[in-house]
Amino acid sequence: MALASIWTVEFRLLSVHPCSPSSSTRTRKIHRFRITNGIPKEVLTRTQEFQQHCTTSVSKFHHQLVTSIPMPQFLVNLNVGSNLPIWVCVAVVVLFASLRTIFSRKKQPPGSVADLVRRGQLRSDRRGISRDPKFEDPFDNPLVKVSKNKSSVEMCGKVYRLAPVTLTQEEQTVHQRRRSRAYQWKRPTVFLKEGDSVPPDVDPDTIRWIPANHPFATTSTDIGEDFAHKNVSQKSGVPFRVQAEHEALQKKLEALQNEEELNKVVINPTNAKELARPFNSHAEKSSLNNQLKDPPSSKLDNGPNHFEIAPSTGEDQNLKL
Amino acid sequence: MLSLHHHLPGTTTNANLQFPPTTHLRHSTPFPKTLTLIPPKPHLPPLTPKALLQWNRKPQLSGETPRVVVVTSGKGGVGKTTTTANIGLSLARLGFSVVAIDADVGLRNLDLLLGLENRVNYTVVEVLNGECRLDQALVRDKRWSNFELLCISKPRSKLPIGFGGKALTWLVEALKARGDGTSGNGNGSTGSRSPDFILIDCPAGIDAGFITAITPANEAVLITTPDITALRDADRVTGLLECDGIRDIKMIVNRVRTDMIKGEDMMSVLDVQEMLGLPLLGAIPEDSEVIRSTNRGYPLVLNKPPTLAGLAFEQAAWRLVEQDSMQAVMVEEEPKRGFFSFFGG
Ligand SMILES: Nc1ncnc2c1ncn2[C@@H]1O[C@H](COP(=O)(O)OP(=O)(O)OP(=O)(O)O)[C@@H](O)[C@H]1O
Ligand SMILES: [Mg+2]
Repeated sequence: MALASIWTVEFRLLSVHPCSPSSSTRTRKIHRFRITNGIPKEVLTRTQEFQQHCTTSVSKFHHQLVTSIPMPQFLVNLNVGSNLPIWVCVAVVVLFASLRTIFSRKKQPPGSVADLVRRGQLRSDRRGISRDPKFEDPFDNPLVKVSKNKSSVEMCGKVYRLAPVTLTQEEQTVHQRRRSRAYQWKRPTVFLKEGDSVPPDVDPDTIRWIPANHPFATTSTDIGEDFAHKNVSQKSGVPFRVQAEHEALQKKLEALQNEEELNKVVINPTNAKELARPFNSHAEKSSLNNQLKDPPSSKLDNGPNHFEIAPSTGEDQNLKL
Repeated sequence: MLSLHHHLPGTTTNANLQFPPTTHLRHSTPFPKTLTLIPPKPHLPPLTPKALLQWNRKPQLSGETPRVVVVTSGKGGVGKTTTTANIGLSLARLGFSVVAIDADVGLRNLDLLLGLENRVNYTVVEVLNGECRLDQALVRDKRWSNFELLCISKPRSKLPIGFGGKALTWLVEALKARGDGTSGNGNGSTGSRSPDFILIDCPAGIDAGFITAITPANEAVLITTPDITALRDADRVTGLLECDGIRDIKMIVNRVRTDMIKGEDMMSVLDVQEMLGLPLLGAIPEDSEVIRSTNRGYPLVLNKPPTLAGLAFEQAAWRLVEQDSMQAVMVEEEPKRGFFSFFGG
């Protein structure tokens, strides 16, 4: 240990004054003298020998390093001796880092799911597996400990004082009574747009006025309450609106077919199916896009309107497209 | 216990045969689950495997299912959505079937907190319109398949408020009818079943959205922070809830800073309780992890290792299940007692 420290001290001094060799050697001597003051002479000579050896070997190593790695000109031109300790440090760090990566690689077998997570293919927290949860009591586990006399609790390594809750049932009812006096409220049951007239049989206290441009709420509905209820409780099958749109489409198509028959243009059922497809996909898209602002009737009307353009051009080719 | 049977037929049959009286006792006596009153653990022989013990420690579901709980506050930004997400997932982790309804019309963000924002295709508005079925609008969480999210509306659509409240009641009925007989007993099966808990994340204010959101609820969790503005709104909202016939109201005090209470700079949880006179479901400390978990779309309670706020949410969820309330609150940090406590002793 002592040797090493002398060694480093010396080098540090060296690197402090790189440009004036004479002064540096002087300080070096002085300092070495100071450091090695209490050490027996025998040891001192040994130390010097060892030190010499170290210096030569390190400089050799450094020389190899410099020659083997292509260096920018300005780095090579620098005073090699002055940078030696820095180079040694760099070498040690590089060696350490490479060893560490080798060791850490050895720990995990390659090709596991962890690799997928690392490559960003999987998110570690959102893998489609939910392990059977192990219920740890949140009141008594390694992170939460209540002291014996229940006056304190240790949570996440910190100890907190506990104070008992003193709220009684009477106090609760007192507060309830206070509130019922302070806030007399009747739940609004009627929602009206601002500016609407009040229906005759409605208690004015139960009206909630919704501004016509309320960002999230509207009083107008394009669907009846009964239908909405039915829709909510529907358990299986095609959703009501989708079904209705489909049926309307079917009817239009049939009407169209009849018309065509009258015009003596023959459309066989396979053609009709292909006809239906582009419209169906259009309908699906529009429902996916949630263009809810359109009232349903307009949506239903729009489709067939587009549609009628196709037969008017009159060609079978057109229909097949 | 039951589901464990399937996993470990050999070992647990034995165990089960040994303990029927114990388990029965747990079911029949509703013991309070609080910080101070740690219930006596059921007496188990020392050789019981640890896993079995952990499965045994489960909160006892009390009350009629589905429990329809509205999470509300009055003042905005005090942590309703955070609470809904964390308590919801805690309940799901405890094996209960949970449906979380984001009733924050227009400003929904529960999906973000849960990291499910990319999977919301349909909402209640589409269900009402008959564009999809209810089961298509429910978003099942991949981490805990007994947790489902239901959003009321998309950002740009409007809720028909005329029967919005009724619509929520129909939703609850439809969810209840879903299981058909196989009502939940908290064993976390993946199939569709009647939910044990329906949590409704209420919008701020006492507007039409609030009125809609509280309609189907029969109990409420009131979130407040220990400051006077939040408290006044909380008191008012409590009054409205009581007028509406919701009697079972418990509060959660959020963003508690024990260091500030100590310096008398902040109301303590007990001060809050004195002002509102409501039983405490939980006290959640201020925790920077909350924001981090929001950014990740990964609720705090799933963090490993658990954090202070996560543990507090889990405790609150446990009390919610058992319809219990806190009997003691953490007041301040105690100075370390001995030198050795520094080393965790
Ligand atoms: N215990 C806590 N510690 C630190 N930050 C918190 C805590 N609880 C909530 N927050 C932060 O407060 C903000 C508001 O939370 P949140 O969205 O849950 O409130 P909210 O009541 O749902 O708001 P809104 O009224 O807009 O719906 C979030 O940024 C959240 O990260
Ligand atoms: Mg919110």
